[in-house]
Amino acid sequence: MNDFNNLTRRELLKISGLSIAGITFLASCGAQSGVVESSNIATAGTVPPTTALGQVVISDTVLLRTAASLEYNAIDTYTQVLDSGLLTGDYVSLKDAVKRFREDHVGHAAAINALVVGYGGKAHECANTRVNNLYIDPALKLITADGNADAARDVVTLAHALENLATQTYQGIVALLTEPRLRGNAMRVGQDEARHAVVLAQVLNPGYSAVGPTTDEATGKAKVASVPSAFGALAVIQISLGAANSEGAKTSLSMETPSLNGLVYDEVSC
Amino acid sequence: MKTSPSAPPAPPKMPTGADKQLLDFALSAELSVHDLYLKAIDSGMLSADEKLVMQMFSDHHKAYAQSLNGLLGKAASNTRNEGLYLTYASQLTSVQAISRVLQSVENTMVATHTDILSSLEGIDGATLVASIITVEARHAAVFGTLPNANLSSALNSAASSLAPNVAPAATTTETTVAP
Repeated sequence: MNDFNNLTRRELLKISGLSIAGITFLASCGAQSGVVESSNIATAGTVPPTTALGQVVISDTVLLRTAASLEYNAIDTYTQVLDSGLLTGDYVSLKDAVKRFREDHVGHAAAINALVVGYGGKAHECANTRVNNLYIDPALKLITADGNADAARDVVTLAHALENLATQTYQGIVALLTEPRLRGNAMRVGQDEARHAVVLAQVLNPGYSAVGPTTDEATGKAKVASVPSAFGALAVIQISLGAANSEGAKTSLSMETPSLNGLVYDEVSC
Repeated sequence: MKTSPSAPPAPPKMPTGADKQLLDFALSAELSVHDLYLKAIDSGMLSADEKLVMQMFSDHHKAYAQSLNGLLGKAASNTRNEGLYLTYASQLTSVQAISRVLQSVENTMVATHTDILSSLEGIDGATLVASIITVEARHAAVFGTLPNANLSSALNSAASSLAPNVAPAATTTETTVAP
C-alpha cells in the first residue's frame, strides 16, 4: 500500500497542478524536435532587415565634421529662402539679415573645416543628409504647400529653429570633444548661432516682454523667447508649420541635434 | 561604436587644480556682472520693461555664480572681481549708457568664458561654462535688438577676454617634512 492512498482530494489537485506547471516550464526552456527555428517566431508579421551601425569611431574630427555639415544645412536653407522669394510682406526687410546669417555660416563652415583638417580629418563641405531628410525637407514642403497663408513667417520659424539646433549642437559636442582648445573653438561659433536665434526670435515675438519665457494664454503653448532659459538647453526643438487644419492647428515638427546615426563619420563623404 | 586605439585618454570629469583657478575667476566675474545689473536696476533710470529684462539677466548671472560655486566647493573664493565691477560701474550714467555698457560686459563675459573653456580639462566645468556662453551671447544680442534692432550690434563683438593666463597644472608634490 503506498502513501497516495492517503492523499486528500485537495492535496491531489495541488500535486497535479504543480506537475503541469513544471512540465510546461521545462517544455518552454528546451528546443522542440522537428521545429525549424525562426527569427519571426514571436512576432506578428515580418521583421524588416536592419542594417547595424558598423564599427565607427566618434573622434573629435567626426564631431566637428558633423557641426560643419549643419552649417551647410543652414547655408542651403537660407539660399533656398532667398532664391525662392519666400520672404514676403512684412518679412521682406529680413533679406539683409538672412544674407548676413548665410555669410556667417559660410565663415563658420570654413573655420570648423580648417580645424578638422588641422586635426588630421577630411573637410566636410555639404549638408547633413539626415537633418535634411528628417527636418528641413519636410518643413519646406509644409511651408511651400498650397494654402499656407503664413509661408513667410514659417520660414522665419524654421530659420529660428535651425539656429537653435546649431547652437545646441555646438554646446552639446563640448561634452564629447577631448581637446580643450576645440571646445573653445566650437563655442566661438556656437555663441554666434545663439545671436542669430535672438534676432529671429525678436522678429517672431518682439519686445521686452518677449525676451524671457512666456506662454500663449489661448493655446497654453510656450511662445518664442529670445532667452528661453538661464542656461543653454539641450532639448527637443518643437515648431509648428504649414497651413492650419480645420481646427486651426499647424503641423508640429520636432528637431534634435544629430545623434549616432546622424554623425558625419570619417567614411561619410559628400 | 568604439574608441580609436590612438585616441587620447578620456578627459577628467571633475575640475583639475588649474581648472579651479580659472573657474574661480569666472565665478568672481559673474558676481561682478550680477552687481552691475543691480546697480543699473537701482539707478531709477529704467522703464518697467527694461527693469524686467535686467532683473532676469541679473538672476541669470547669480545662477551662474551659484553653479560655479557648487562645482568648486571649498575652492570657491566667492568674492566679486572689483576691477571688473569698478571699470563698468562708473559708466552706468544714462539709459543708453546702461544698455551699451551692459552689452559690452556681456560680450566681454562671452569672450572670457570662451577663453577659459579652451583651457579647461574637466568635462563638468567645460559643459557648465558652455551652457553659460550661449545665454550670455543671447543677452548681448538682446541689447542689440532692443529698443531698436541693430543687426551689427546684435551679432558683432570686438570684446577681449579678461581670463588670466592659464596656470600650469597644480602639482601635488608634498614638500619634504623635516624629521
